[in-house]
Amino acid sequence: MDTERQVESEGSVATRLDDVWVTIVWNDPVNLMSYVTHVFQTYFSLTNEDATKRMREVHENGRSVLSSGPREKMEVDVQAMHSYGLWATLQRSSE
Amino acid sequence: MRGFEADGDSAVAILDDEERLVVARIVADVALLLGAEAFGLDHPSESAASIMDVDDPFLHLRGLEESIREPSDPAILRLLPNAAPADREVAEEFRRLTDGELRDTKIRRLRAIWEQLSRDTDEWVVRSDEALATAAALTDVRLVLASRLGLVTDDDADRLHQEIDLAAHALETDDDEVLPIDHERVWLGMLYQALTWLQESLVEYVAEG
Repeated sequence: MDTERQVESEGSVATRLDDVWVTIVWNDPVNLMSYVTHVFQTYFSLTNEDATKRMREVHENGRSVLSSGPREKMEVDVQAMHSYGLWATLQRSSE
Repeated sequence: MRGFEADGDSAVAILDDEERLVVARIVADVALLLGAEAFGLDHPSESAASIMDVDDPFLHLRGLEESIREPSDPAILRLLPNAAPADREVAEEFRRLTDGELRDTKIRRLRAIWEQLSRDTDEWVVRSDEALATAAALTDVRLVLASRLGLVTDDDADRLHQEIDLAAHALETDDDEVLPIDHERVWLGMLYQALTWLQESLVEYVAEG
């Protein structure tokens, strides 16, 4: 299948050091601070203190970088955030 | 209505018949928006069984073959947002790979709430291992309501609370002829607030672990 080949070839490209991607979570008026903190803590295995810090970044600066790595890993993280109703995007870390 | 409190291995909230019906209905409506079949109103267990014997086991894999258009309804777009606004190719591929699975996950969580509320009791019982998934589904419902209410910024959300307080006061004092009230908006806003409050109590339960 074409799609599979495409994903595989992009996978090998994404492991190059100069092609690091990031997952960004954006602020929104709906998500509760306690909920966002708990999702960060659970999904990204952060301490409560770190999760709270990231949540505050989202709330006060409008966004926070939650993870970085190969593109497919960021796709998994963004999908997880969307499943929790958080507004997340991925992009190359150089962008 | 009473928010969620720990009770053995579960979190339990208390909702009367009407409150349960309202929450069950909005949960079913959000699932419909996501493309679910209507949750049956009389035989929840039957509809739960029917999703188990889907004729086509590759249903959500079909999306892999074709590109999926971005939802035109802003509420659905908030549930399935653009994952890469600056890069159309990345955004399209993400949607192609994840749209089916995300919809399935969200619908399954909404259906679980609907079933929890379809029991003949005032207690809304959420097992501890289902609590985070339930909180996630409540977020989805609140995101749809917020979209319908036009809540885009934190200030919009603050203004909604003031607006509802004013409307509630006007209704209580029969002032609603002086102050024009958008009843549907106030109703949606009150539902949004009630679900926010319920979710807060559930997240508090989850966080205490």
